[in-house]
Amino acid sequence: MNALILRRKLFDAVMIALSLGATVFTLFWLAWILWTTVTQGASALKLSIFTQMTPPPGTDGGLLNAFFGSFMMVLLGVVIATPIGVLAAIYLAEYKRGTRIAGVIGFVNDILLSAPSIVIGLFIYELLVLPFGHFSGFAGGFALAMIMLPIVVRSSAVALELVPPETREAALALGLPRWKVTLSVIARAARPGIITGLLLGVARISGETAPLLFTALNNQYWNANLAAPMANIPVVIFQYAMSPYDNWHALAWAGAFIVMLFVLTLGILTRVVFRQGGRS
Amino acid sequence: MSVVHAPSPAPAKMQTRKLRFFYGARESLKDVSLDFPENQITAIIGPSGCGKSTLLRALNRIYDLYPGQRAEGEILLNGEDILSPGVNVAYVRRRVGMVFQKPTPFPLSIRDNITFALSHFERLSKADIANRVEKALRQAALWDEVKDVLGRSALSLSGGQQQRLSIARTLAIRPQVILLDEPTSALDPLSTNKIEELLDQLVRKYTVIIVTHNLQQAARASQRTVFMYNGEVVETGVTAEIFTNPRERRTADYVSGRFG
Repeated sequence: MNALILRRKLFDAVMIALSLGATVFTLFWLAWILWTTVTQGASALKLSIFTQMTPPPGTDGGLLNAFFGSFMMVLLGVVIATPIGVLAAIYLAEYKRGTRIAGVIGFVNDILLSAPSIVIGLFIYELLVLPFGHFSGFAGGFALAMIMLPIVVRSSAVALELVPPETREAALALGLPRWKVTLSVIARAARPGIITGLLLGVARISGETAPLLFTALNNQYWNANLAAPMANIPVVIFQYAMSPYDNWHALAWAGAFIVMLFVLTLGILTRVVFRQGGRS
Repeated sequence: MSVVHAPSPAPAKMQTRKLRFFYGARESLKDVSLDFPENQITAIIGPSGCGKSTLLRALNRIYDLYPGQRAEGEILLNGEDILSPGVNVAYVRRRVGMVFQKPTPFPLSIRDNITFALSHFERLSKADIANRVEKALRQAALWDEVKDVLGRSALSLSGGQQQRLSIARTLAIRPQVILLDEPTSALDPLSTNKIEELLDQLVRKYTVIIVTHNLQQAARASQRTVFMYNGEVVETGVTAEIFTNPRERRTADYVSGRFG
């Protein structure tokens, strides 16, 4: 009897040690990445990063054009993906829930969700770069939209499905038409979930490199024209990190640090929005 | 089997004729023919799964939302068959309001919960809307508790208040019939009392049909009672008769707590 208890206690201790070890292993790498980015990035932060353009080799400069380009293309991606994604989710979750067509579309959407982003980059390259003969901010924005779209569809559909059926019935029982109920009550009730999905989508596309490499490429100069190649933070990080110049390395670190800070802020914002939604 | 119909003292506002209801292939209402007299409270009682909620959900066609559910026979509202193909379902629901078991506040302010449907149906001035909101909340005995916080989220109200808000919302659009599906089963005794007192007021202007598991509630609050079992109407009549002098053995067994 005592031996059995001892064995169980031992087993318990070993299992706890193993799970603790796995947690520490995971956090270790995360902490390392964070630590390196923060120390290297913070020390490279200067005001000129936000005021000057990306420099040619050997001279100093900043990331202004890259920030602006990233902002424009992420904005374009959000503007395209949000309405289409939310409307598709309403169609799937409100009008076709439980049907075969909704199942098939949901499945295809999930495939798109896990498609490698480089494939999406190449697809848009074929579609919007080759025919025009040059890279462009439009192509970059479209590629980002393609990546964000399935995220918005999935998270919005889940948020809509979580609205209690009684709420829907109660609104319809007032004699209101379906579209009114969907827009004014159901979408309203699902809003925290939908916004959460949008923020997660923005966080995801803010750091995407591969799709921009094939579409927007880069631009050393200030450019507000979406029809021309556009600078953007991820590709600048990619190119500068591989360069042999120390000042380019510093800029890459600063860019990485700022993108990480931005994504972290979005993550916190997401939690705040979701918690408020859950409370009310 | 013999269905016992007691004479209805008032003209029927709603009637069902040979109403059958199906969830897919499963038949859960069999040949239900009932009269719901105007300006009276009719209570529908019976054990779980007897079809009483199904009957209620048929009366305003809320089941339409779900493919696979269908009704056959006739449901008459003011003599007009609301199951016939050309009927405007939204207009049926506007006239036949429904309050659910769980309070169903919309994620809007208290005021907007009421004005939301109202301003869809009627072009009203701001003053008229404010009046209608106050009137509906007074009718639902909620006004004194919320008059200073109309802009607050309805989700911040207590369960009992939310249920009275659901009733106010239904009253604001001036229906003719109000269906209540176990409206107090999720509430504490105090809130339950308030809702029952409310029913007494409502019945002067509306026809009320209430499904309840609570036999005392049916006995206290209703003028007429329908006892259902297994998708069929066993007995219907004046509430006092059903509870003190039922004609059917199964009714007697149920109201005395021997089964159900």
